[in-house]
Formats: sequence, structure tokens, C-alpha cells
Amino acid sequence: MKFISNMQDVIQQLKLDDTIKENIIHWQTIEPKSANTSDIPTDIHPLLKQAMVKRGIGELYTHQRTAYETAKNGMSFVAVTPTASGKTLCYNLPVLQGIMNDPNSRALYLFPTKALAQDQKSEINEFIQESGLNINSYTYDGDTPANIRQKVRKAGHVVITNPDMLHSAILPHHTKWVSLFENLKFVVIDELHIYRGVFGSHVANVIRRLKRICEYYGSNPVFICTSATIANPLELAEHLTETKMVLIDNNGAPSGRKHFLFYNPPIVNKPLNIRRSATLETRWLAGEFLKNKIQTIVFARSRVRVEILLTYLQELVKHKLGTKAIRGYRGGYLPTERREIEKGLRTGDIYGVVSTNALELGVDIGQLQVCIMNGYPGTIASAWQQAGRAGRRHGESVVIMVASSSPLDQYIIQHPDYFFTRSPETARINPDNLIILIDHLKCAAYELPFKAGERFGKTEVEEILDYLTEERILHQNGDKWYWMHDAFPAHNISLRSASQENVVIIDQSDVANARVIGEMDTFSALTLLHDEAIYLHQGRQFQVEKLDWEEKKAFVREVTVDYFTDANLAVQLNVLEEDKHRNLEQVEIGYGDVSVRAMATIFKKIKFETHENIGSGPIHLPEVELHTSSSWISLDKDHSKLSDKRLEQGLIGTAQSLKHIIPLFVMCDPQDVHVVPQVKASHNEKPTIFFYDRYPGGIGLSEKVYEGMDAILSETKSMVERCQCQSGCPSCIGSENTSDTGKVDVIKMIDLFLQSK
Amino acid sequence: MSLKNKLNRLKPHLSSGVTHQERQGVIEKAQQSESFDLDIPYKEIWESENVKPYILDNEYCLVREVKYPLTYKHGHYFFAEAIEAVRQWNEVNFDHPLSASGHTPGDLFFFDTETTGLGGGAGNTIFLLGYASLREDSVVLKQHILPQPGAEVALYQSFLEEIDYTTLVTYNGKAFDWPQVKTRHTLVRNHVPKLPSFGHFDLYHAARRMWKHKIERMKLSMVEKEILGFERQDDIPGFLAPMIYFDFVERKHPEGLLGVMKHNELDILSLITLYTHLSFQLLGVDNNRSVRETFEVGRWYSYLGDRQKAEENFAQIADGNETDAILAKHALAFEYKRNGNYKSAVNLWKETAKYGNHDIRIEAYIELAKYYEHKSKDYQQALTSCEEAVSQLIEVENEKKVARLQKDLQKRKNRLLSKLNRQ
Repeated sequence: MKFISNMQDVIQQLKLDDTIKENIIHWQTIEPKSANTSDIPTDIHPLLKQAMVKRGIGELYTHQRTAYETAKNGMSFVAVTPTASGKTLCYNLPVLQGIMNDPNSRALYLFPTKALAQDQKSEINEFIQESGLNINSYTYDGDTPANIRQKVRKAGHVVITNPDMLHSAILPHHTKWVSLFENLKFVVIDELHIYRGVFGSHVANVIRRLKRICEYYGSNPVFICTSATIANPLELAEHLTETKMVLIDNNGAPSGRKHFLFYNPPIVNKPLNIRRSATLETRWLAGEFLKNKIQTIVFARSRVRVEILLTYLQELVKHKLGTKAIRGYRGGYLPTERREIEKGLRTGDIYGVVSTNALELGVDIGQLQVCIMNGYPGTIASAWQQAGRAGRRHGESVVIMVASSSPLDQYIIQHPDYFFTRSPETARINPDNLIILIDHLKCAAYELPFKAGERFGKTEVEEILDYLTEERILHQNGDKWYWMHDAFPAHNISLRSASQENVVIIDQSDVANARVIGEMDTFSALTLLHDEAIYLHQGRQFQVEKLDWEEKKAFVREVTVDYFTDANLAVQLNVLEEDKHRNLEQVEIGYGDVSVRAMATIFKKIKFETHENIGSGPIHLPEVELHTSSSWISLDKDHSKLSDKRLEQGLIGTAQSLKHIIPLFVMCDPQDVHVVPQVKASHNEKPTIFFYDRYPGGIGLSEKVYEGMDAILSETKSMVERCQCQSGCPSCIGSENTSDTGKVDVIKMIDLFLQSK
Repeated sequence: MSLKNKLNRLKPHLSSGVTHQERQGVIEKAQQSESFDLDIPYKEIWESENVKPYILDNEYCLVREVKYPLTYKHGHYFFAEAIEAVRQWNEVNFDHPLSASGHTPGDLFFFDTETTGLGGGAGNTIFLLGYASLREDSVVLKQHILPQPGAEVALYQSFLEEIDYTTLVTYNGKAFDWPQVKTRHTLVRNHVPKLPSFGHFDLYHAARRMWKHKIERMKLSMVEKEILGFERQDDIPGFLAPMIYFDFVERKHPEGLLGVMKHNELDILSLITLYTHLSFQLLGVDNNRSVRETFEVGRWYSYLGDRQKAEENFAQIADGNETDAILAKHALAFEYKRNGNYKSAVNLWKETAKYGNHDIRIEAYIELAKYYEHKSKDYQQALTSCEEAVSQLIEVENEKKVARLQKDLQKRKNRLLSKLNRQ
């Protein structure tokens, strides 16, 4: 690539450069959209109006106007807003005007992360300052100093916090927040689409608790939600808050021209259909932009990928920009480290950032020109969120999605229509997951006793209250259930993580000065922090010297090696109880409760550039048991007419290909639903494929698989058929099957499951 | 699948936040009484312990009242001496945060609670509110007991009806007991009188000031044993109180709870003795006061800015070359300096520069250097003192401190040298 200095040049180069253009298999230009506006409502307080004018807001976008009117009429709503469409005004305007009308009113803002809360505090405070109004807004989180906490509780008109803080610090201490709960008029839930899966199911219960406390103090707040584009914002908002909602989707904000490129790395091995590594291509593309000082964000799907790309890129521009100009950003970093990176991006000191989906959220990092996705992010909604990171405030921008050889990526990249026309995924929650529900019932009982006949949200809970009474956690006296335990229940319940304990990672490179550099949930730790694992942090390599499983501590030391590690997990599955069942002639499909026993077995050392296997070792960690929900599909063995060997290989291949398609149908991360083949399932002794939820008790993902089994199977079949390889490749059925009949067998297997032949 | 099966299956995942200690030894669940017909279980046992029901609408709580004569001795003190302490505070002309000046003995409210959990939070229930007050002829101790959850209106009504005191005396009540009373009161605030506002003597912080040097964990029971001359027999440890209460709520039999009540009673009685002892120490009328205690009293007055009382206390013990005497002399020297009595201060520093530990020696030499430089203008002497201070640095272990002192002293030396040159 030649020297380029502005976005026009970038686009020109991409169109002309031979090495690039032949790999671009789709170029979608999204035309700029002009604004659709409406006057500022006449009943807005003159000082508020003045502050808006000062900020250059002379009129409202149509969706902002609708939002204002809806809230004014006391109706809860969810506004669907793309990145940079002025969503904050959708809630700040009605809330601030509401406080002007009644200075006693209070509002509670919930953001999924502390970073977002900080960001929004600055925004609303600037607005308030410019208006000169006497309104107090504060963040309330773990960093709030003790001396101002009291002030926040008593005098904060707007309290900005996150669900975790609401769960563990505000609700259990509601008696200290009487003035908030007595006068709560608005609850704002930003980034609604984040509240899905386990996290969303937890948060739905936190909101049940919030509403219960509001009712106790006599308030009935309006809920204001904003969401990125998903298929079911209204359903999600209503499910999460158990409140009737109005959907606002008349987005009137303008947007700049955006070039969305699908980039497929060239095939390097035709018979095996192996493409050049997406990570290498991403590295190269990002390097070209960064060398020319074009601010670029790179999204990678896993923590490991982030670290690998970071190492590559920092090395590449070390002399030109310095390694500090390119940073990593992901969940395992400590908060201060993350704040520093966010600031660097805004000020322009940092040119490039390599991130997991942590930066999908609306953290304000200013205007980036190019966004590169290392692989399809797994969901359409997620892809658009990431794409929104480039050129979020007008102007031309380029988004490049680099496909990996995974079947899902190949499927998406070869079907641009699918991506650009299909509605994004559905977000699901299951607030009545028993484990989650019981956790929050305990918290709720701690907060206020339960009365006979009282529901928790819409759910009847008397049976569970009786159970908790038997367990001597509650005490029933007359028609009420009281908390009767010396524990503080919220402390042991994390809203974020499937397992409730985290492993802390301790760097002891400097023995006298050992320090904690991150943390990880126990399930991931099985495969990422076992003894001798290579753990990557900010591009630095650490080797795990000892994983103290009892104490949940991993001791690491910095090393320099040219490989990473990859661990195998052996899984045993038992069906405990069958809830749903469909019996076809030769096939049975079931859904119910299973016990999963997982054990990390061995790990492999894999060389960086070539991905050769250069060694392996055993892992000695205890088995982890999980009770969850699962669906499964079984086949009559004789019916297959395949040899045992081919049957087994076929099942593995089918499971591999299903694994890649499922996230498309159930909006979830690929690791949220596990797909496990068994030649002889223990409950029916038939060849079976299981699909189970990773969270104890299940969160409704595998149930969706049960319901959509036919569609999933046919989609998987067409994906395998369309793959250009001859007898199966990592892009369709995985790499473990090397026989010539691999691909045919998988297709046959799916046909059998489908009973179409 | 039935919910019950599911619940049992998920049990391993449900265990968080619940310890199962309380299950051990729990006997058959008692029959639940269906109505508040005031058929109080084990009424005769309660009566024999001076416990009577307080009835409000359909609820009741239990109230125990006992009296102790003023001639009763708890630890080293008679309760009559507490009255004496209040009298003396009213007679002296100096002030102190623990001074009862302006109060009668009956204004004090020795207060302690027992709760169902540790730490704050809306679900941590107070099941026992205990307090004692000083009367002319006796000490009256009352305990208000929550017979089961849900009877808190009766509990707080009975409690708030009677209290007309002005000052709480507690052990860590500022951080724990009183905020928790406020929390639980908020939940019944529409049905019971408002909480009055109180002055507050928190003796935990006082005890830390006085005896940090000899007691590591300043638990009340440790203070009793080490300081107050009182040792408990068969006391129920405070951390078991929640379990015992849960058992009581189920079985209704008072025996375990009576133990918790005894524990609470002793806590409150010790508060009286502790207040008496602290007062006598601060008033300077305790003949058994140790040198170190006198020193700590002096430091406390010094911290409060009462120069005269600080000086007085330090002077009492600034005799001899024992460690504590040197500490006192050193502190006394600073008091003299603040009062402008440089001569006396310098004499003391000359001593502590010789006999103190290295920290004191360094400080003393620095103070001497300051005096020689700014007051007596004897720069040569000042320089010598600086060098003495520098020579002591080798004994200091904290490297940051060494660096800081070295830098400061070097600056001082340079200045002195240039002053000498100009002479």
C-alpha cells in the first residue's frame, strides 16, 4: 500500500491495490442519510433549551421528540438507536425537564459498565452546568469515596450506577436511600441489548427487586430503555422490566457514508480448502493503516486473539509510533488500565486499539476511521455495533470484515445478502432460571419480607419460599416470610459470571513485588490457566507456574516463547429428566435436565506463525460438574447403515458444523451453547448429539435449539454442501475427520436427522 | 419435572451464601402457633428471669428489667463510682469529648444490641436492644427482646416510649449499633415514634487510643480482662448469637437466648465500668494509672489542643530514663515548645537525644538544631546537632524515611554553612 493520508485515499487504495481488491468479495456502500428533525417542544424549560442551543442543538431528531413526548405522558419506552444518533437526549431531556417540574423527583441511570457510567456523568453534568440549573447528578459505584456517598443518597437527583452496584450496594441498603426510592420517577436502562443471556436474566431479577422496593416506598417509576438494533427490542424491554413499553424506532439522526467490505483471505491449499489465516490478514491490513497513522480499531473474538494481534502490531510499528500507540482492551484488564486507554483514544495519543467486544458498548472513544473485524463477531447485532465504532460522528469510514475459515464466517461472507437484509438476532433472557431466581429471591427476602400471595415480578414463588424455609434460610411467621440467616446474600451472587468464584491471576515475576494483574471465571480457568499454560496479558506472555485450585489463585511469571497453549476438555453427559419429547420414525428429539461433567485433560503447545503442534502435557485439575438444561437429537443406530467408525466420524463432523451455525439462531456467544456428540448416549444407547447451556440450570438457549431443530439442521446442511472443499475441511466439518467420505457422511447424517430421505 | 425435584437437583449450585452450621443440633421443629393469642411459650421460664411481655395490638415483645445496687462491683469499680465520675467531670474546668460536664448521671444511656447477622444491611435484624442507666440508688438494666420476626413495631414502640436520655454510651456503636437501629427503625417508621437524636460516647475509639500499645484486637472482652479486672465465665461468643436466635425462633425455648441476654448484659455493665475507668484516667484521679497510660492521656489532650492538660500529664511521668519516661519527656518538650518555653524544651531534648531510641534521637537533634539556628543563633552548635542526627540515620530501616530525612538535613546543613560563612 502506498502512502495514504486521508480517507479518500484509503478508499481509492482499497479499490485499486491488486493484493487487496481480489480478496474483497463484497463492497457495500451505505449511503449517507440526512437528518429528520422536529422543533424543540415548547414546554421545555427555557434554561434547558438555552443549554441545548449552546451545545449546537437547535432542534430534535424525530426519535428524540417522540421519546420526550412519550415519557412526558408517563409511558415507559424503548428507543432503538444506532451508534451516534443522540440517544442520551432521549432520556436526559425528559428526566431533566421532569426534575424542573418537580424538584423532588429522582432518577436512576443504569449502565452496564462503570466506564459508561463515568462517561454519561460527564455528559449530563456538562449539560446541567450550561443550563445553570440546580440539579445534582452523581455516579455511585465502587470508586465513590465514602464521604460523598451520603450526599449521593440524600441529595442526588440523578444517580448513575450499574446493575451490580444496584444489586449489592443499593437495594440491600434501601433504608439509606429513602429519599431516592420515595421519589423515583425515572429508571433509565441504557444499552438494553447487553442484558441478554445469564447477565440479562440476573438483571431482570434485580429489576424485580427494584420495583418491589419502589412499591414499598410508594413510587412507580417510568422505565426508559435504549438499545442497539436487535430483532426484539420491545420484547426484551418488556421481559426485562415486566412493564408495558412503547417502541420508538423512528431514528432521525444523519449518518456518514460507510464502506462495508467483506474480505476473504486467499486459499493457500486448494484440496483442503485452507485459507490464509484471518489473523495474519488482519494483522497485515491493520499494519498498513497504522503505519499511515490512520486511527484503527481491530476487533478480535477472544482474549487470546487480542493478545496475539497486539503482539504482532506493536512489533510492527515499534519504531514509527512506539508500542504505547497501540493498545489492547479487554475484560481481564484492571479498571485503571482501561480508563487510561479510553482517554488515550479520545485524545489521539493512541492510534490503534485491539479489542474484544468490550468496546462494542457506547464508551466514548471519539472518532476512529477504520474498523477491522478479525472474523465475524458471531452475531449480526454485534457486527453492526462494532462497525459503528468507525466514523460514529459523520464522515466517511471503512469497515473491513476479515473472514476466518470457520464455517460460520464463510457462510456469512459468501452470503452478503443474508448479512445485510436479515433482521438481527433475538435477545433472550430467562429470569425464571431456578438458580438465578432463587439467588435473587434470597436477596429480595433480605430486603423486605415476603407476604403470602405476593408475586416476584410476574412469577409465583410460594413454593420456593417454602423450600427456602425448609432450608432454614427464611422463617415463616403468620402470612410472611422473613430472612433468617446471618449471611449477606448479595455478596455471594455475581451478575456477570456463570460460576460464582473467580480465579485471580498473580504475577510473581518480581518475587518481592507480586501483584494481581487480572481475574478469570473458574470454568475458563480450567482451560486457560492450568499449570504451564501460556497466559497473555497486554501483549506480554506469562506462563502459569501454579494454579492453586483450592484458593482460586494462578501464579504466573513473565516469559518469552514462540507458542501458545490450547487445552482439551473431556465431557460426560447424563440425562436426568426429560421435559419435552418428539418422536419421529427413526429419530427422537428431547429436551430436559442433564448433568455435565467436564475435565481438562491435556494441553497442546502451538507455534505462533505456523500453528504446528510442538508439544503437549497433561492437566491435573478436578472434574467440574454442571447441572443444566439441554436438548438432544438421537438416531436409531441400525438405520444409519454406516460402519461404527464412519458413524462416529460423521457424528463428530456434524457436531462441529452445528456448533458454528447455532449462534446464528440463538443470539449467544459460541461458547454459551456446547455441542457434544456421543456414539452411544447413556440414557437411550443411541447415537446422539447434545446441545447444552453453559450456565447452571440453563437460560433458555438449548430450549430454542429444541424448537428450531429442523431449521438449524437444514441450514447446517446447506452450509456443508456449499463449502468448496472436496471431502470436508476445517471450514465445514472440522479437521478431525480425514477420511474421503467425511463430508458425504455428515450430509447423510444430517439427512437422517431430518428424515428427508 | 416437579419443582421440588429440580430444586433438589440444583442444590449444589444453590449453596452460595448459606452455611449449614445451624442445621447441626437443631431439634424437631416446634409447632407454629397460628395466632397472636398471647399464649407466650415457656411463660414461666421467662417470668422467673424477670421478663414480661409488652403488648401492642396483636403483637408483643418481651422486656426484661433488673436492678443492681450502686454498691455492686463490676471489675475494679463499684457502680457508685460511675456517678462519682460524672460529678467530677462537672467540677473540673477543662473539657474532653468524653466529659459528662453538663449532664446528670441519669442522662447517660449505656447501650448495646444483638443482631441476626454481621455488617449493615436492611435484612440484618436487631433482636435484642439492651441498655442501662444510672439512678440515684441503683443501676437499672433493661432488655427488649424480639420474640419472632414481624414483631418489630412492638419492639421499637416499647423501646422508644421509655427513653428520655441525652447521651449514648456504646462500644463501636457509631459505626454499627446505631446505624443499624436507624435502618430497622426506617422499616417501621410509620408505626412508631421518631428516633430521638443523641450525643454519643463511643468507648471503642477511646479504648484504642489508650491501650493500642498492649491490646492488639480491641474487643470488649479483651479490655475487660486486661484493663477492667473482669473475666467472663461461660460466656457465649458474640458470633454465635445469630444461630442461637434462629434456634430460639424455631423452638421458642428460652435457654439459649438467655445466654445471649447474659452476654449482652455483661457488655452493658462493662460499658459502665469502662466509662468510669476512662473518666478517672482522663481526670487524672486514678492512682493506678501506668506511666504509659498517663502518656497516652497526655497525647490525647495534646491532640485536642489542650496544652495545659497535655503538659501536666507529660510532666507527671517525665522522670527517670525508662522508655516511657523518655517518651513523655520528648512529648513534653514539644508541649513546652508550643507554649514558648524553649529553655525547658531544650533541656528535655538534650536528655532524649541521649537516651531515646533512634527515632526520638533524630527528632530531638533536629529540634535542637532548629533551636540553635533560629533562637540562639549558634550556627556551629546547630551544625553539630544536624550531624548527630545524620549519624543516627543508619539505624532507620524505612528507606523512604531515610531519604527524606537525609534530604532535609542536607538542606539545613547547607543553609547553616552559608550562614556561618557570612558571619
